[in-house]
Amino acid sequence: MAGTGKAHLRDDSNVLLRVEDLVVEFPVGRTGLKVNAVSGISLDVLRGETLGLVGESGCGKSTTGRAIMQLRKPEGGSVVFENKELTSMSHGDMREARTRMQMIFQDPISSLNPRRKVRDIVMEPLAIWKRGNSAERNEKVDALLSEVGIDPERAAESQPHQFSGGQCQRISIARSLVLDPTLIICDEPVSALDVSVQAQVLNLLEDLKAKHGLTLIFIAHDLAVVKNISDRIAVMYLGKLCEVAPSDVLYETPAHHYTAVLLNSIPVPDPEVAITKVAIEGEPPSPVLPPAGCRFNPRCPAADDRCRSEEPQLREVGPAHFVACHHPLLGGDAPVAVRTS
Amino acid sequence: MTTTTDPSIFSAPMPIDLGKTKVPIRERLHIPRLGVLAGMVWLIGLSVLTILANYFPAAVPFIRDYDAKVKVDGKVKRYGWGPGWNAWFGTGKSAEDIFAHCIYGAKVTLTIGIGATLVGLIVGGILGVASGYFRGWTDRIGSIFTDCLLSIPPLLLALILILRLDDLKDIYSWLGWLTRTWQITLTLGLIAVAPFARIVRAQTLTLREREFVTAARSLGASRSRIIFRELLPNLVPAMVTVAFTGLGILIAAEAGLAFLGLGVERPHTWGKMIDIARDDIEKAWWATVFPCLMLFLTVLSFNVLGDELARRFDIREAAV
Repeated sequence: MAGTGKAHLRDDSNVLLRVEDLVVEFPVGRTGLKVNAVSGISLDVLRGETLGLVGESGCGKSTTGRAIMQLRKPEGGSVVFENKELTSMSHGDMREARTRMQMIFQDPISSLNPRRKVRDIVMEPLAIWKRGNSAERNEKVDALLSEVGIDPERAAESQPHQFSGGQCQRISIARSLVLDPTLIICDEPVSALDVSVQAQVLNLLEDLKAKHGLTLIFIAHDLAVVKNISDRIAVMYLGKLCEVAPSDVLYETPAHHYTAVLLNSIPVPDPEVAITKVAIEGEPPSPVLPPAGCRFNPRCPAADDRCRSEEPQLREVGPAHFVACHHPLLGGDAPVAVRTS
Repeated sequence: MTTTTDPSIFSAPMPIDLGKTKVPIRERLHIPRLGVLAGMVWLIGLSVLTILANYFPAAVPFIRDYDAKVKVDGKVKRYGWGPGWNAWFGTGKSAEDIFAHCIYGAKVTLTIGIGATLVGLIVGGILGVASGYFRGWTDRIGSIFTDCLLSIPPLLLALILILRLDDLKDIYSWLGWLTRTWQITLTLGLIAVAPFARIVRAQTLTLREREFVTAARSLGASRSRIIFRELLPNLVPAMVTVAFTGLGILIAAEAGLAFLGLGVERPHTWGKMIDIARDDIEKAWWATVFPCLMLFLTVLSFNVLGDELARRFDIREAAV
C-alpha cells in the first residue's frame, strides 16, 4: 500500500479543491539528502464536503495542509482551488486567494498573538483587507464571537492567555471565518484539547459548516474524531496515500492493512472486551530513505516480493472505495495475523 | 454529533472575580519591591537634579556653580573640606564641590548611556529582525557583521575608534558636530549593536515559527504587517529588558573610557573625576569614593529596573 495514482479523483464540476501529485521535500542540512514529507499525493474535495486526512505522526498530514495553503511552496504537483492554479500564482494573487481558504492550527494558544487583545486578533483579517468601516467590522466580529460562544465584551479587553485552550480554539475558528472563506483546513484542531472540550469544538465546527456553507479538510491522527465529522477519509502513511473511502465504508471494511491496524488501535472503553492482538511491529521507516515499492512493506503482514519492488497504485475495490495495495483485504477479511520476528 | 451547542454556556462570566479574591495589597496596587522603588527614586532624583542644575540653576541653590571654588577661611585650598555641611561630598583637587560636579557629570554620563543604548537598540534591532525574519543571505551577512564586532576586544575598538573620529573631525569641517560626547556615544553604540542584534535575532527566530505568525501569513498579511504587528510587540519586552541592563554596562564603559583619558573634558564625568582624584585617595578619600558611589548606584538601579521590567513583561503563556 501507500502508493500513488489518481483513480480516486472525481470528475465533477463541483470540485472545490483538486490536488495532484503534491510533493514536498525538506533538505537535510547540506547532506544532499531530503526528507520526503509528501511524495505525490492527489486529493479532491467537493463543495460542502468534509475530507478527513488521517495518519500517524510524521506521515505528512500537516505538511499537506500547509502545502495546499502554499504556506510552504510544494516542490511539485498542482493545487487547483476554485479553478485557479495556486502553485504558479504570484505573491500578490496568492495573498488574495488565501482569503478564500483558511487554516485552524493545532495549538490554540500559540496560534493567537499573546500580546494582542482577542477582539483585535479576530478583527485582524478585516483590517488587513480593509473591509468595511469600523462599525461594520465591529458588528461582524461581535456576531462571530458570539456565534462561537465567546463573550465579545470580554474579548475586547482580554488577551489570549486569559482564555482556556478550548476558548482559544473557538477564537481561532472565529478568526478563520471572518473573511467568509469557502475552504477551511483544520490542522488537528482538537488534539491539544481534552475530550469533553473536543466534542464541543467538533460540534461547533459542524454547526458552522452548515451555517456558512463551508468545505472542510480535517487533519487528525485520532480516528474516532475524524469518523464522525468526515464524509470521506484519506489515510496517509509516510507521505503517500493508502486508502480513500467514504467514512462508514472505511470503518466497516478497511481494505488496506495499515488502515486495518490503525482502526484496531482505537481503544475500546470497555474492560470486558478482549484485546485482539493486531498490532504492527517496528516504527515507520525514515522518510529520508523510504523503502522501495510499497512504503508500508517493511511492516506489512502481507508483504511479498512484489510489494518490495513495485509501487501499488490506487484502485477501486468497492463503490467509491480506493486502495493502494497489491493484496487488499476484501470482503471484510479479518486482518492477517501479524508477522512477528 | 449534530447537536447544536448553546453558546450561552460558554460566555457565562467567570465564576471567580479576581478583584475580590485575597491578593496581597502590594501586588494589587502594583507597588514594586523596595529595591526597585529605591532604584526608581535614585534615577528619577538624579535626572531631575541634573536637569535643574544645568538649565534652571536658580531652582537648586544648594548645587554650586560648576566653576565655583569652595573656600576655607577665605582661601582656596586643595581638598579643603571633607564631606560635611559646607560641601556635602567634600571638595576636590582644585577646591571644586564634588557633589556639584557629580550632578553636572551625570548629564554627560546619562546622555552618553542613553544615546549609545538607543543607537545599539535601533541598529541592532533592525539587524536582528532582518536576520531572524528573512534568514538566508540577509542572516549570513548580518551574522558575519555581528561576529566580527564581537571578536574585536571592545576596549581596543573604542580606543581606536575615538581617536580616529577625533582625527576625522579635525580633517573634515562638516564633522564639526562630532564632539567628544558624540564620539563616545557612537562608539559605545556600535559596541552595543552586536549583543542587541544577537538577542533580537534569536527571539525573532523563535517567534517566526510560532503559529500565530503562520496564521497571519495565511490571512494574507503583508511582510511589514507581520513584522510590525505580530513580531515587534513580542520583541519589545526582551528589548526593553536588555536595554536597561545594557544601559548600566554602557555607563560603566563610559566611566572606563574616561578613566583611561578618553573622557569628555567639560563637565567631567564620574570616570574622569575618579581618574583625577585617585592618586590622592589616602589624603582625600571622598573625592574618589563619592563619584564611585554615584556610578555604582546608577548602574545598580538600571540593572534592578531591568530585572523588574523583565518580570513585569512575562505574561503567562500557558502551555506554550
